[in-house]
Amino acid sequence: MVTKRLLEIAEKGVELSIEGGVDQAQVAAFLVDSALTRFANSQIHQNVATKRGGVTMKVVVGKRIGALMVNSLDERQIQEAAGKAVKIAKVSPPNKDFKSLPKPARWKPIRGTFDRNTAQCDPDSRAEIVKEAIDTAHVKSRLVEAVAGSLSTGAYAFSVANSLGVSAWAQITETSLTTTVISKSKGSQGFGSSEQHSRRIRDIDPRRTGDQAAEKSVSSINPKKIPTGDYEVVLSPRAVASLLMFLGYIGFSAASYQDGQSFVKYNLNKQAFDPSLDVTDDPTDPKTLYAFPVDGEGVPKWRMHLIKTGKVSTRSICHNSFTAGKEKRKKSTGHALPPMYGFYSRPMPFNIVVAPGDASVDEMISETKHGIFVTRFHYTNPVEPAKVILTGLTRDGTFLIENGEITKPTMNLRYTDSMLSALKTIPLIGKSLEIVEEVTTPAMRLQKLRFTGITQF
Amino acid sequence: MSLDLGKLGLDEAVKAGASYADVRIGEILNEILTVKNGIPEEVNFSQTKGFGIRVMANGSWGFAGSVDLTRKEVAEIAQKAVAIAKASAKVKKKAVSLREAAARKDKYSTKMKKDPFKVPLEEKMDILMETERTLAKQSSLIKVSYAFFRAMQEKKLFMSTEGAEIHQNINWGGGGVLAVAIRNGEVQRRSYPSSFRGNFATSGYEFFESLDLLGHARRVGEEAVQLLEAKKCPSTKTNLIITGDQLALQIHESCGHPTELDRALGMEADYAGTSFLSPDKLGKYRYGSEHVTIVADATVPGGLGTFGYDDEATPARKVPLVEDGRFVGYQSSRETAWLLGLKESSGGMRADSPLAIPLIRMTNINLLPGKWKAKEIIEDTQDGVLMETNRSWSIDDRRLNFQFGTEIGWEIKKGCKNAMIRNPTYTGITPEFWGSCDAVSKDDWKMWGTPNCGKGVPGQVMYVGHGCGTARFGNVRVGLIK
Repeated sequence: MVTKRLLEIAEKGVELSIEGGVDQAQVAAFLVDSALTRFANSQIHQNVATKRGGVTMKVVVGKRIGALMVNSLDERQIQEAAGKAVKIAKVSPPNKDFKSLPKPARWKPIRGTFDRNTAQCDPDSRAEIVKEAIDTAHVKSRLVEAVAGSLSTGAYAFSVANSLGVSAWAQITETSLTTTVISKSKGSQGFGSSEQHSRRIRDIDPRRTGDQAAEKSVSSINPKKIPTGDYEVVLSPRAVASLLMFLGYIGFSAASYQDGQSFVKYNLNKQAFDPSLDVTDDPTDPKTLYAFPVDGEGVPKWRMHLIKTGKVSTRSICHNSFTAGKEKRKKSTGHALPPMYGFYSRPMPFNIVVAPGDASVDEMISETKHGIFVTRFHYTNPVEPAKVILTGLTRDGTFLIENGEITKPTMNLRYTDSMLSALKTIPLIGKSLEIVEEVTTPAMRLQKLRFTGITQF
Repeated sequence: MSLDLGKLGLDEAVKAGASYADVRIGEILNEILTVKNGIPEEVNFSQTKGFGIRVMANGSWGFAGSVDLTRKEVAEIAQKAVAIAKASAKVKKKAVSLREAAARKDKYSTKMKKDPFKVPLEEKMDILMETERTLAKQSSLIKVSYAFFRAMQEKKLFMSTEGAEIHQNINWGGGGVLAVAIRNGEVQRRSYPSSFRGNFATSGYEFFESLDLLGHARRVGEEAVQLLEAKKCPSTKTNLIITGDQLALQIHESCGHPTELDRALGMEADYAGTSFLSPDKLGKYRYGSEHVTIVADATVPGGLGTFGYDDEATPARKVPLVEDGRFVGYQSSRETAWLLGLKESSGGMRADSPLAIPLIRMTNINLLPGKWKAKEIIEDTQDGVLMETNRSWSIDDRRLNFQFGTEIGWEIKKGCKNAMIRNPTYTGITPEFWGSCDAVSKDDWKMWGTPNCGKGVPGQVMYVGHGCGTARFGNVRVGLIK
């Protein structure tokens, strides 16, 4: 079993570090076996498979810390790395905020996170799935000009050990299919896209993504220019996921909170969002993709509320052992990133789940008098993180809703708005959840989103 | 770097049915040091070793890579890459081909005086600790202060079935400082020499030393605090003057990415998007005003995108993209050059590790110097806003509608820098914006390094450069945050 071998490597790394004269040591070993078939212009143009493994190690001498990552699982190289990490720690200035590596805590594996068929999916099988998505889109309409996208499969495993007795591991598979369709009629192009994420390759339905993307694309031909301003919006789960991803990244990380750069700090226990908004970070929910039972330090993960009835609190903040050590009586919430993500030091939520409501997307549209339907946002970025002002553009299917009906495609629009305003009034939340990478969410209808610009297509 | 392993990979690929193969064997060292609020927050080293084999079989591409540099693994990975290419060929409309290129054998190394990996860690940490202390003590309103250092060394060997054999040793590094001042929920940031951890160059440790972070710490801290009191950016259309540290990102997003030929040909349509600079516009389209000449130049000394050869063994070269405002060239690869009927690749194929396939990536995308002095541009402006140092960015998937925010701005009235402005933002449409450029400086032209350019699926992060000074644009919409 991969995780057993990785744990032996991690334990050996800890042993070698301690022999080097350090007070504490933590080693996480990982293996990522992944493949990706990418297509564009209705043919496969990139097709890759890589196997990468390695260890991250952290050693502590007093309050001096050395961290090192090496992408090898070879014992001789790990021994060299341990020696180097010890040398780094001994010449580093002390880190007065460091308290301790985490102590061992009870944890249990999450069942059903690994699917052998996904891990072993071969290039011929990937090509067949891709072909089906492409063919479906072309059959849908003769206006379809080109189909692009990617099908990925991956198996991720890591084990963590530390000198205080932590011994933990995790293993998952994941797969995704994205499909983007470009169509054309009388000199005007239309764009549409669809995607699906799962941990099992058998769940991937290329006909669904091909069909949905083609339908959106053809419907988007000849988009109209509309005035900028405040609009009601119906957001697909993918569009909601973009906003929530950034909210998670800039708002709920202890790194932002402790620095005074998180909106949570200025909105504690206030009605920051609509009371119907309920968001958890829950690795134990089978609907989340990255269902690791422990984090990159071997600390157990559990379900925690980020937003409860529209309110945030100090309990919404995601910690690793270092950020927890900076506060009195605070423990890690299990949000250190897994070792394959390197040294990225910000703790952050990775399993965001938005509680469903009871509306369908059709109901959301029918209750919208004058609004915009958004399939997807593109290039979202924070403008003012502490006020959660984000900007980004719509993409791959943006439509005007008039008197409860979609009436025409619009050119892509730029929004610039604070999420404290946009998510303040959410008249309807969808009843069906979709997995969109680290966010699992339904569609939403927002009372108001501010559009500040428009593109030319 | 083992020539034997490389040759084995090529031989095995050909034996398995490849009509073309190349192998890259590489080792990347990375050192990241960060001091934050008086503590060494990051003292991190990483080492990546591995190889990747790219093959063409049955007219399609396949690629496989591994970190296990053994003969057995190299042979297996070569066979795997060919099996992948043969699977690709099952969903093929047109067989892939490459523009012809001479197969060279050569060596290239970044010129450097001081190897940053040989400078004692204590020495580097001392500089960062002192700089950060100086920054923090400027005011109690500075709640977060950082000093950054980074060095990277990439050793790589490229071999191909055409006979190319290129050894390269690329070194780059740099650093910066950042102060965050906070009062009553208002958060202001100020950086030097640029945001996102500073400025970077292909160079030795001497580039980091030349930044003189300590010498700039006081001003950076003071400006962060002054920004808390600064006036809001007016919401209007006006003249906009942009300094080099912001203009570099403007060039990156609105010229660098749209002139990537893979984007223009739809190869990135599913992720980053396509380009408004479609092939039918090549040589005809007015991209900007006559003041705008932009090149992709992998040869400029110190540029973060400077190297000897790209990851297809095409020699580093200087290629025009925009000449006197006219769109004249793409950044290309051997495959895309062949697809579009171009004479040769622009030499922009780069991978962020031996385990990744090369993609068309920016080298150094430079706005060539104009005739003005930066000071003269300000003196010549009756009414406008000057913006400096990027804070936020966003652009659509064809690279037309963009919006940027900067850390700091100033009102310009009657040729003088007047009141400081906080949270300045501006927006526009790429060709209209560059079409309104009426002044480009020459005296403050320098290279800016962007070490974090993302592209591709799976995602890759590349180091690229931008040469520019100060420039002025007319009738730009500024002040979008109410």
